Amino acid sequence: MKKLLALGLSVTMAVSLAACGGDAGKETGGADSGANNNASEPQNTEAAAGNEAADNSAAAGESTAITLWTYPIGNWGDSATVDSIIASFNEAHPEISVTVEYLDYTNGDDQVNTAIEGGQAPDIVMEGPERLVANWGAKGLMVDLSDLFDTTAGGEIYENVAAACKSTDGAYYEYPLCMVAHCMAINKNVFEAADAMQYIDEETHTWTTENFFKAVQAVYDSGVENVGAVYCSGQGGDQGTRALINNLYGGTFTNPEHTAYTADSPENIKALEELYAQDGINFDASIAGGDEITLFRNGTLAMAFCWNAAQQVNADNSAAGTTNNGDTILPMLFPSDDGKAELCGGIWGFGIFNNGDDAKIAAAKTFIDFVCNDETQAKESVKASTYFSVRPTMTGIYDGMEIADTMDEFATYFLPSMGDYYQVVPGWATARTEWWNMLQRIGTGGAPADEVQVFVTNANQAVSEAQ
Amino acid sequence: MAKSANVTDRSRALVIRETRSAYLFLLPSLIFFVGFVIIPMVLCVYTSFFDSTMGKDAKDVFIGFSNYAELWRDPIFIRSLKNTIIIVVVSVPTVCVFSLWVASVVYNLKGPVLSTFRCIFYLPVVTGSVAVAVVWKWMFNNYYGIFNYVGKSIGILDKNINWLGDERFALGCIILILFTTSVGQPIVLYISALGNVDTTLVEAAEVDGANKMQLFWKIKWPLIMPTTLYILVITTINSFQCFALIQLLTSGGPNHSTDTVMYYIYYSAFKLYRYGYANSMGVILAIFIAVLSAVQFKLAKEK
Amino acid sequence: MDSGIKRISPYKVFSMILLVILALLFAFPLYWIVTGAFKTRAAINATTPDWFPQEWVLDNFKTLFSRQMAPLWELGVPFSSHFTKDGNPIIFTAGPVVPAAIRWLVNTVFMTVMAMILTCITASMAGYVLAKKRFRGKTLLFSLIVCAMALPKQVILIPLIREMSALSLYNTLWAIIFPTVGWPFGVFLMKQFSEGIPGEMLEAARIDGASELKTFTKIVVPMVKPGIGALAIFTFINCWNDYFLQLIMLSSTNKLSIALGIAKLQAENSIDYGLIMAGGTLAAVPIIVVFLVFQKYFTQGITMGAVKG
Repeated sequence: MKKLLALGLSVTMAVSLAACGGDAGKETGGADSGANNNASEPQNTEAAAGNEAADNSAAAGESTAITLWTYPIGNWGDSATVDSIIASFNEAHPEISVTVEYLDYTNGDDQVNTAIEGGQAPDIVMEGPERLVANWGAKGLMVDLSDLFDTTAGGEIYENVAAACKSTDGAYYEYPLCMVAHCMAINKNVFEAADAMQYIDEETHTWTTENFFKAVQAVYDSGVENVGAVYCSGQGGDQGTRALINNLYGGTFTNPEHTAYTADSPENIKALEELYAQDGINFDASIAGGDEITLFRNGTLAMAFCWNAAQQVNADNSAAGTTNNGDTILPMLFPSDDGKAELCGGIWGFGIFNNGDDAKIAAAKTFIDFVCNDETQAKESVKASTYFSVRPTMTGIYDGMEIADTMDEFATYFLPSMGDYYQVVPGWATARTEWWNMLQRIGTGGAPADEVQVFVTNANQAVSEAQ
Repeated sequence: MAKSANVTDRSRALVIRETRSAYLFLLPSLIFFVGFVIIPMVLCVYTSFFDSTMGKDAKDVFIGFSNYAELWRDPIFIRSLKNTIIIVVVSVPTVCVFSLWVASVVYNLKGPVLSTFRCIFYLPVVTGSVAVAVVWKWMFNNYYGIFNYVGKSIGILDKNINWLGDERFALGCIILILFTTSVGQPIVLYISALGNVDTTLVEAAEVDGANKMQLFWKIKWPLIMPTTLYILVITTINSFQCFALIQLLTSGGPNHSTDTVMYYIYYSAFKLYRYGYANSMGVILAIFIAVLSAVQFKLAKEK
Repeated sequence: MDSGIKRISPYKVFSMILLVILALLFAFPLYWIVTGAFKTRAAINATTPDWFPQEWVLDNFKTLFSRQMAPLWELGVPFSSHFTKDGNPIIFTAGPVVPAAIRWLVNTVFMTVMAMILTCITASMAGYVLAKKRFRGKTLLFSLIVCAMALPKQVILIPLIREMSALSLYNTLWAIIFPTVGWPFGVFLMKQFSEGIPGEMLEAARIDGASELKTFTKIVVPMVKPGIGALAIFTFINCWNDYFLQLIMLSSTNKLSIALGIAKLQAENSIDYGLIMAGGTLAAVPIIVVFLVFQKYFTQGITMGAVKG
């Protein structure tokens, strides 16, 4: 009955389409620029076959159209940069046309999820293991990329990074390109004016928990009403709030085996209580990480918890490393009571949705292989992200650029503090949602001890459901 | 005997012919109605009995009424149901009273003045929910929104209020915005309804010495009753459907204080991947609304 | 006392003043959108609001228009993506490359107008039959229509996505148009209007030997013309503002509606309000112009819809 109806519908629709000239059909090549349309013309060249990763030779030689959806990872969210990457890809592989869509961290997940349900999941998506491995990979939607790890370049990837891209069933659902350690930042001018720089080790970018609270108090006392914001309107940038809370008194987010959430530990509860009680720190349920950065840049907030190298070198609105009105931004490790901060890592790379078309999967692998493993391109790809390579052999990416010093500084003082990559716990998507909901409850007066309990119960339930 | 049989035969043939041609006329509309409303609705009811989620290997598991049973134990659902009801209960009467008041002030003004007022109150409707939502988000902004600035400079507030991020205010803010986008149509309707009230009736009553209040309640109110009923219906439906404001302004937060059933359906489906559960919520809501609109329709019929 | 001069009661004065204040408040968000679009970044983020832009700049529009590009239109062969080798649909004409925001406007106009036309045709046919014919299943059908009328679309969100996906309509403008046309309010409205057609006229036409179709086009349509106008306006406003359906059905940059485009803009740029207001202006101004030009018809349409609905 439904089929019949569908048939009837299709017929009517075809008629109405013919009558009024519609624009049905899938994506067409021009999401970013008209130039892409040229690339999608079938151009059968024999050159394309030589690809170690894409061994499905049926695809080679024929034209294939694939879609790439990227989250705003450095300049990978910027169409000019991505266009140039695709242009160089098409020089080497004219037979594959790539259409790009840009996602954001507010609605991006919903967008991918509706597309999956609508049968139009992208071929390639660029994000981190928490989505590619723990979420879509765990749901069986992704293609195993083990063969990419077997390449020379693939073998060079840091072991712990590769491990984060591996799912519990042994398959790799992400091929990583770049990584960074998420940190925080302060407005140095504001801190100086409040005489709060005495609490900071400017050389090593570290501070103790005690000094952190002293500094916040000092800045608050100097007349800055909003020193920092524990943002929690959604999941955007939540690695910052997690790292802040975990580091203050040495709490952890999950157990070392990544099988259960441990956020209800006394250390975390204490951290939440202290943060809530601290003047100048607001639990703000109207903003997420991205908003916090904007507020920090425009001088409303004196510190940001959602920071990293890409933010530090971002020069969209003002010179790199300064706020909109020229104040100096000083990146900082999260404060910890034992002096050893554990930063939350970000690992970004590509995953392939299994849309059931071998030719497209092969083409997608060709693309990933080119972008991440091609000797000259890989550097450009990493550079576009303004993060660091996941391969120790790839050095000097930023040599000769203005930002080289800053990037070196990050590599020296921040990357080594990268902590456990726990974002691959099964049921991670639910846990994330529970996390910002929990912060909202605490922000509106909920007792931290009770609320973390609710969080852990719900999150652990998601773990057991996902297994 | 034979004759009457003949008549029934003929009338039956007529009925069949009428029915056939009637359905031919209905066909285009039915294709869309059945195809994109009824079939999804049936599928929705069907899936609501399953534990359905996203994923390739995920098989839908039949779980009977478990989704429905869970609904009533889910504090977030209860909260969102409560919020939905609050929105409806607060906004429907205020919209009605406010628009009636505006209409009664302006309806006998001169043409251009009248249409200027009508236009202004209708503007938020045509501006579009998204444009309206983003500008209100800015005005409510904690740090440099206009509300905090005005509030502080005239001395109502002594410190910034995080309007959309504070459980005490967020729902109120949503209702306020919804209010501004809802009064346009009722005002237009009331203006025309009041304009259509027979002046001879009013004059006769005035001659009889009726005061303003009596005039309104005894003469005008009954005459505009059908309009009021219609306004009640559309405002109720409108308030139930409030989604864009919530998705764009608060995402249901803080702490689910602005979650409505509408938004929670979306949230369960695309943040929690619980399709069956979301569908069961949809079914409950559909029943709720169907009953409500049937009642209102019945009432309107009786008037 | 001169009875010739109308006395102005204090209540009248008071309520007029209050009304003017309220009207200003109602117009304010729109004013804030439009002026915000032309403000400098510094003015936008200032804690002391800039009530009237001291410096008018076009930066926000420049940013908006340089973000993404798209062809102005694309007409393709339906379902051709299933047959082509590379999985791209056959496009027989594509417009010049313009800022994506302009394309979103084109998309929105296309789906709104299309939904309007289809709804008016189908609903007037169905409404006429429901009002003037006796046939089996009429009561059942009519009850279904009444019940479904108030149904929010969120209720059927997941099945609708799956259905659109099965029909290869997901992420096309038709995925917005068809459910809008399927919404039974139009049928209901047109039924109410068709009730007013005198039965004798239809009877006379039948005796004259006019076919059903002819009766419909020559007698029914002219008589329900005001109804069709009202319905067109209703559908127009509804479809233009149906953010939810657009949100779940459209995903690629080329397919977005203007409302969705602005929402995405907001998500990507969080609190770059200048840019967002530029988008808001682009979304709001065209429809407000349409509204002001056709104001008379809008109010008429709304009123008639109510009287008959």
